[in-house]
Amino acid sequence: MAENSGTDPAVETNIEENAVASATIIKVTVKTPKDKEEIAIAEDSSVAQFKEEISKRFKAQQDQLVLIFAGKILKDGDTLGQHGIKDGLTVHLVIKTAQKTSGAGSSQTSASSGPGPSQGTTAGSADTSPAGNLGTPLGTGPSPTPTQPPNILAGFGDLSGLANLGMGSANFMELQQQMQRQLMSNPEMLSQIMENPLVQSMMSNPDLMRQMIVANPQMQHLMERNPEISHMLNNPELMRQTMELARNPAMMQEMMRNQDRALSNLESIPGGYNALRRMYTDIQEPMFSAAREQFGNNPFSPSRTENREPLPNPWGTTDTTATTTTSGTATTTSSTTSSTTPSVSNPLGISSSSLGNGMFNSPGMQSLMQQISENPQLMQNMLSAPYMRTMMQSLAQNPDIASQVARPSFIEQQLMQQMLQMFAGGTASTQTPEVRFQQQLEQLSSMGFINREANIQALIATGGDINAAIERLLGSQPS
Amino acid sequence: MDRHDSTFGVQLFIYDLSRGMARQLSPIMLGKQLDGIWHTSIVIYGEEFFYGGAGISSCPPCLQGGTMLGPPDTVVELGNTEVTEEIFMDYLSSLGETTYSGDKYRLFEHNCNTFTNEVAQFLTGNKIPSYITDLPSEVLSTPFGQVLRPILDSIHIAPPGGNVISSQNNHS
Repeated sequence: MAENSGTDPAVETNIEENAVASATIIKVTVKTPKDKEEIAIAEDSSVAQFKEEISKRFKAQQDQLVLIFAGKILKDGDTLGQHGIKDGLTVHLVIKTAQKTSGAGSSQTSASSGPGPSQGTTAGSADTSPAGNLGTPLGTGPSPTPTQPPNILAGFGDLSGLANLGMGSANFMELQQQMQRQLMSNPEMLSQIMENPLVQSMMSNPDLMRQMIVANPQMQHLMERNPEISHMLNNPELMRQTMELARNPAMMQEMMRNQDRALSNLESIPGGYNALRRMYTDIQEPMFSAAREQFGNNPFSPSRTENREPLPNPWGTTDTTATTTTSGTATTTSSTTSSTTPSVSNPLGISSSSLGNGMFNSPGMQSLMQQISENPQLMQNMLSAPYMRTMMQSLAQNPDIASQVARPSFIEQQLMQQMLQMFAGGTASTQTPEVRFQQQLEQLSSMGFINREANIQALIATGGDINAAIERLLGSQPS
Repeated sequence: MDRHDSTFGVQLFIYDLSRGMARQLSPIMLGKQLDGIWHTSIVIYGEEFFYGGAGISSCPPCLQGGTMLGPPDTVVELGNTEVTEEIFMDYLSSLGETTYSGDKYRLFEHNCNTFTNEVAQFLTGNKIPSYITDLPSEVLSTPFGQVLRPILDSIHIAPPGGNVISSQNNHS
């Protein structure tokens, strides 16, 4: 082969003009789907010669070889130089399999070969939208099976479901609010999310959660207002505990009930009641207003504002005394079902029931919970202020309760529980209690509890649990 | 080769699997901005080809409602190729038997984007945009990514609505 005989003048690629000089050997990598080989070949050889080499190396027939470079099929008559194949470059090789596959392929291609040229030309004319080319029914054998297991959902599933929720917002706060709303309207979702292993392992990494929480602008706002939050966030043990709680709703419920009981027992201690009340108002005030900003409107119905008005008192005013007389008992029912009219020592009409379960069910506290849940230590730190000491003193006289309260995470655990309860159970509180507890109310009235107001109170306090509500109603009867 | 010298357009369909969540949450969760979790597929000859947990699959491109991912986030023109469908299918079959079988799928190292990158090079000589192929290493270089790695490794993304290409099939 003489030098550069195959070099056409009409060379469009960037080849060196005189790639002559006998045979400069270049090493070209030939890559098949299965493997690749390096082939040394003269720079100016033709494709046919190249294929010869390849067929030797790959043990295939020359006419089975299809060489592709830069999207072009290398024809036998071309030269390597024509296509710009230089040292170190990779050429793709497809070894055509036996005729039968190409037979099937050709049936397909024949189906498409009719409109094929038109396809080719439209493709050539720079308009390559596949939609345009789909005049061809490519008749792809079996129609796509939609039953293919969506593995993607196994992993990302619920999270991507979350992702679909109102994703239009670019503002993270908006996003968060939307997520809240979605969560509120779909209590199932939270448990689904919790079950997602992705989420769970995320939760078990306190550092991660800390990062996430810190990055939240609202959190940062809070942190400015109360530097102790950052203390909390730096305490991995606490975070871990909190995450444990968040992960396990059943455990939460359990703890909630225990601590509701404990807290309501507190009221009966001399001085403790006032301390609780002070705690409630001092914390509730700033938190509630903070929460209000976040929530905009109070999402809960107006009938459920915090207990500033006296709750209706169907059992008469004797209940205030009933509260204190039941101090010794461990049961919470009697001490928490009663409602109190405003009195001198209780100007806000905050009844014991509100301080017990009711306190944590009120919308103010619930939104507070949500804030608190992001910084459990906050509550504790704030509580380590004066009134806590008063309470502690009172508690010191009663070792039982002291031990319950003395647990450092007491308060925030409680609040965490309430938060989750709110999410999981109280999400329906966007409706009025009457609507929420419609079914339970009917049941109660059919059982003979005709006092609708009392029923509602009881149901609210127990979160819709009929049996507990009945207990309350029964226990509240002055015996 | 009896085919005349026609060329076929090659497109790259890019999907964001997180549907925008990555763009918003990545600064928080990862500490760096990732605009999306990219899944890609090659569209040629009026069909969409992609690699997933089930191997190489194909389906009518999303514009006709193929995969469940909906319309792509971005479409990139990779150029034209002379490779015919026949050759391409041969090529895919070989690939599907070897390096791109379903069980070789690895979310980080050997995923749909690896596949499309290789096919793009085969068809046109061009690679796919680097921000896509760089994604796994970007994620893995964050602490969060490291934590999640064991979980993510077990996820196989296999968008349904496609047919698997294998040498037994007559080119679905």
